[in-house]
Amino acid sequence: MSYDSNTLEVERFQWVGKKVGFYGSIFIIALVSVFPILWMFITSLKQPGNVVTFPVEYIPRNPTLANYRAAIEGAPFFRYLLNSAIVATGTAVLDVLLGSLAGYALSRLRFRFKLPVLLLILGTAMLPFIARLIPLFSLARSWGLLNNYLGLIIPYAAFQLPFAVWIFQAYFKELPDSLEEAGLMDGLSRIGVLFRIILPVSAPAMATAAIIVFIYAWNEFLFALTFMTEDSMRTITVGIALYQGEFQYPWGTISAAVFMSVIPLILFMLFFQRKVVEGLTATGKA
Amino acid sequence: MADTVESSSGATYGESPERQNRLQRYRDLRFSEEELAVILLTPVVSFLLAVSFYPIFDTVVGSLHTGYVLEINPQEFVGLENYRDLYGSGPLLDQFLNGDGFWNALRVSLIYTFVSVPIELVLGLGLALLLNREFKGKYFAQAAILFPWAIPTVINARIWAWMFNGQYGVINDLLIRVGILQQPFPFLAKPDTALYAMLFITIWKTSSFMALILLAGLQSIPDHLYEAARMDGASRIRQFWDITLPLLKPTLLVALIFRTLPAFQAFGLPFGLTGGGPASATTTLVLFDHQLTFNRLNFGEGAATATIITLIALAIAMVYVGTLYEPEVR
Repeated sequence: MSYDSNTLEVERFQWVGKKVGFYGSIFIIALVSVFPILWMFITSLKQPGNVVTFPVEYIPRNPTLANYRAAIEGAPFFRYLLNSAIVATGTAVLDVLLGSLAGYALSRLRFRFKLPVLLLILGTAMLPFIARLIPLFSLARSWGLLNNYLGLIIPYAAFQLPFAVWIFQAYFKELPDSLEEAGLMDGLSRIGVLFRIILPVSAPAMATAAIIVFIYAWNEFLFALTFMTEDSMRTITVGIALYQGEFQYPWGTISAAVFMSVIPLILFMLFFQRKVVEGLTATGKA
Repeated sequence: MADTVESSSGATYGESPERQNRLQRYRDLRFSEEELAVILLTPVVSFLLAVSFYPIFDTVVGSLHTGYVLEINPQEFVGLENYRDLYGSGPLLDQFLNGDGFWNALRVSLIYTFVSVPIELVLGLGLALLLNREFKGKYFAQAAILFPWAIPTVINARIWAWMFNGQYGVINDLLIRVGILQQPFPFLAKPDTALYAMLFITIWKTSSFMALILLAGLQSIPDHLYEAARMDGASRIRQFWDITLPLLKPTLLVALIFRTLPAFQAFGLPFGLTGGGPASATTTLVLFDHQLTFNRLNFGEGAATATIITLIALAIAMVYVGTLYEPEVR
């Protein structure tokens, strides 16, 4: 009897221990993941004089928004954000358009040389960006596309197109054949089938591709740094990276600027997390 | 309005059904599958040829010339001279192990890639196993864990530069509080520790990305396999080695390809963290190439470096794809 209740006790203890261990490790991992941003937020609220102290101040005394004011006055952050939004949206739209058409052809049409075409498209994803930088830079310069949104949208769209094509063709492959057959029977042309039947049901793939491409374009640095030489055309990523205040290393101001630039990402992750996860898993399922 | 247009084109209401059918068939036949494929794929393929392939070709040609791009000097064909300048002088092995400039950058990039990616893979697998079950608050945990991946690399570099700061950095403060350090240590100012710090940051940032890709693989493993194993009395560890790992192998290889090529092209992290210093200890190949091209305006050697990077990237991709396709053939 007492033996039985003892084992029950032990099992219960183990169960609680497992739960605590599990949630404890999840909590620690989540904390480690968000700590840097949290730290930026804490730093940004400190009085300018309290930023560079050691030992470090963990809870800001007399929190202030002075750093935010300095950041906004020091650089055109809203302009940077607008530039990033335009470039990232343009890239996503272009890739959804081209990617869905190519993905449809590669997954649902029979034609010769399908495999070589697929390999050609996916193979471009393997080519290093740095090897495309200078030739594209001189092309952009001769076509007047430096300091122009299109100057970034065009290369970004090309770089991410293989992923968009991959996502769309994987999605279209899973659609039932009866969908097209019904459309053809109803007298639609093949193009009609594509635009009236296939594309309207491909919203999930469009969202996935658009989000993946959007995040890429928002975060890209090498081309954004090189192609946008005027301060007013910089994307937020470059704007923050090159930010220099009036004094050397104004960490308080930089923290405020970084935190502001990350707010859209935080909201984006909270709203679209599931889509992002689906997108990543879709690219992972080769 | 529409009626007038239709009647002017001849297809009016009074048309016989046969003619209607013929018209319909004509519409269907207007594009065969193959024609439609050509129509849909031509824009994509020509776009990629122009924006992805042509530049590579141009870079290879440029690597054989001087005064490339700037147009101030006329382009002059110099053969392999740019490559010889990158190589320097000395025996190959000696250069590889001790050479500076290009060789140093090559070493940094190889260490960076082949140390960080395996660690990310292991940590990512651990995270994926942890997330591969239902629990309260999973949504927020997942959003938090995925967050490092969404922060732009170069902004992330600035954040960590502040946290690693040698005088006022929070990392120094924490390490002193737990008793690991006695006094602040300038991690980013010492050649050895700067590279370790850079590795730490990239592992922190990318493990979650790995976890998500691996999570998809884990979820595709059917539950009944585990049930059968449990009935046979197999332990959790046994199940992991005999079921999870073998079935996850294709996903692991995909994750490797997805991470190795970007890691080999690291640029934003050293740019924002250390600028490649101290003493070039964190200068990756792409950062080296960028400095060569834009600071020293040596376009010929820059193009030669870019060509070498391309060759190495393609070699890595080929090795992986070769390994990846093997299990499917069998």
